[in-house]
Amino acid sequence: MKIIVCYKWVPDEQDIKIAADLKVDMSMAKWKISEYDKNAIEEAALQAENNAAEVTCLTFGTSKAKQSLKDALSRGPEKAYWVNDAKAENTDGFVTANILAAAIKKVGIPDLIFFGEGSEDSYGQQVGPRVAALLDIPALTFVTKTAVKDDAITTTRSIGNCTEDVTASFPAVVCMLPEINKPRIPSLKQVLKASKKPVEEIKLADLGLSDAELTVKNKVKSIQGFVMNRKNKLYQDGSSAEKVKALVSDLAKEGLA
Amino acid sequence: MAGIYIYSEEQPVTEQLLTAGKTLANSLNEKINVIDFSEQDSESFIKKGADHVLCLKSDHPWPESYAQIIADILKEKDPTVVLIGGTLRGKTTASIIAAKLQTGLVNNAFAIEGSGSVIETKRIMYSGIAVCTEELCHGSIVTIEPRTFDAAQDSDHQGDTENIDIQPEAKTITVGNVCPIVHQDNDIATAEKLVCVGRGLSDQNDMKLAEELAEKLHAQICCTRSVAEDYHWLTTDKYVGLSGAKVKPNLYISMGVSGQVQHVAGMRDSKVIVAVDTNENAPIFAAADYGIVGDLHEIIPLLTKELG
Repeated sequence: MKIIVCYKWVPDEQDIKIAADLKVDMSMAKWKISEYDKNAIEEAALQAENNAAEVTCLTFGTSKAKQSLKDALSRGPEKAYWVNDAKAENTDGFVTANILAAAIKKVGIPDLIFFGEGSEDSYGQQVGPRVAALLDIPALTFVTKTAVKDDAITTTRSIGNCTEDVTASFPAVVCMLPEINKPRIPSLKQVLKASKKPVEEIKLADLGLSDAELTVKNKVKSIQGFVMNRKNKLYQDGSSAEKVKALVSDLAKEGLA
Repeated sequence: MAGIYIYSEEQPVTEQLLTAGKTLANSLNEKINVIDFSEQDSESFIKKGADHVLCLKSDHPWPESYAQIIADILKEKDPTVVLIGGTLRGKTTASIIAAKLQTGLVNNAFAIEGSGSVIETKRIMYSGIAVCTEELCHGSIVTIEPRTFDAAQDSDHQGDTENIDIQPEAKTITVGNVCPIVHQDNDIATAEKLVCVGRGLSDQNDMKLAEELAEKLHAQICCTRSVAEDYHWLTTDKYVGLSGAKVKPNLYISMGVSGQVQHVAGMRDSKVIVAVDTNENAPIFAAADYGIVGDLHEIIPLLTKELG
């Protein structure tokens, strides 16, 4: 069984600052593998350990994403594919899915393709099912449990008001919810081993995509800090009992106590 | 061809999308078309503003399997914009349709506005720190989460219904064991008052403080992701956040919640937010209307008592 797990290299939002003019400042941000994608990598690693799956990982990123490869490989995959292009700086779900689907076709469509439920930065929640549609294979999304038997995967999906078990024959795309597993913290041994694992860089030009397929669809007009409009009243005077009294009195004025 | 197309596998969500669709239809001077599966709903959709209802007649039980059929219809109709209910099923369906049509998709838009022939959407990025404003391409798909808009009002609007017999896709998947999630209490997404617990609780016994407060307020209890996923004190359907439940109660009281961006993204539409936490620098206070810095073991019982 072959699995390709896709991930994205993203800025850590804990380090993103919003300037006074609401501009988003990422200059201080450390970059990391999107947390949701770590769940997908972990699920693939578990399939490698329990079902002898052959796992590789795939990312589309700028030259900066090179730093992600060792971290990804230390989490289980045996080989990394990296579509390296500056276009990753300004992409959308449409372009990213076209690129990933083309890259997957190029390296060979595996039995299973794993994704997280969305990326941590833009959280577009569409690349996984888009790739499935482009490859004309089923998309099993919002998955909390996987079980592989013969040439099929059975997943439990948690979709709001119900859960359901969906079985698909290979090949299939599976997108994981965070509660599916707890991503491992790679051991020193795993990190050292990762340095020796192969990385294959894929050039965008080798994927045979047209200009239209590489042009973002919707035009981003602005990305600005979210303005929180709250009263921000802190009760600082008096005893705890007095603070609580003042709070309840304010809640009463709002008709809530 | 043109027009606004609306689809959701859940009829109440379609009624909410009609509210957004009507505003858009006015500013763009477009007609509203609804895609649905039940002829029974079409009269109600027309009363709520649909000009045309396309009723797809099939009995295939898996909503996601209609993506190809809906994509085929949309390809022929060449819509200006497509609004799809942003349920989890809806977002998957929308992604598949967008890929089939090679068009743009904005998931989880919280606002949509039309002016002249330009449509703009707003959605959150970076776990809620930022808002991304996008200008849509012609024929873009937009998903809007349930309860973002109220259901459209009935009127004497006139429209027509078209029945289309469809052949569902070949079944490459099998679906079984469909279980409704039984919420232990009521659904937190529609609760009017919520008490939220975070990791500031020192152990599970502290849940009692939350329960007593919730009982006094007639509130439901919810939690942060780690309380559900790491501590398992509540089930995962009770966690509020970007990847959990989005809530907008009239009153939201948090205790021991630090206020990570992902959590705040799930609760910041609440009408009034109260925070109690020991750490005065906790980001929850920036998201709160009223805050008390203090030990929740002391503050919460006082609050429960004071609410008498």
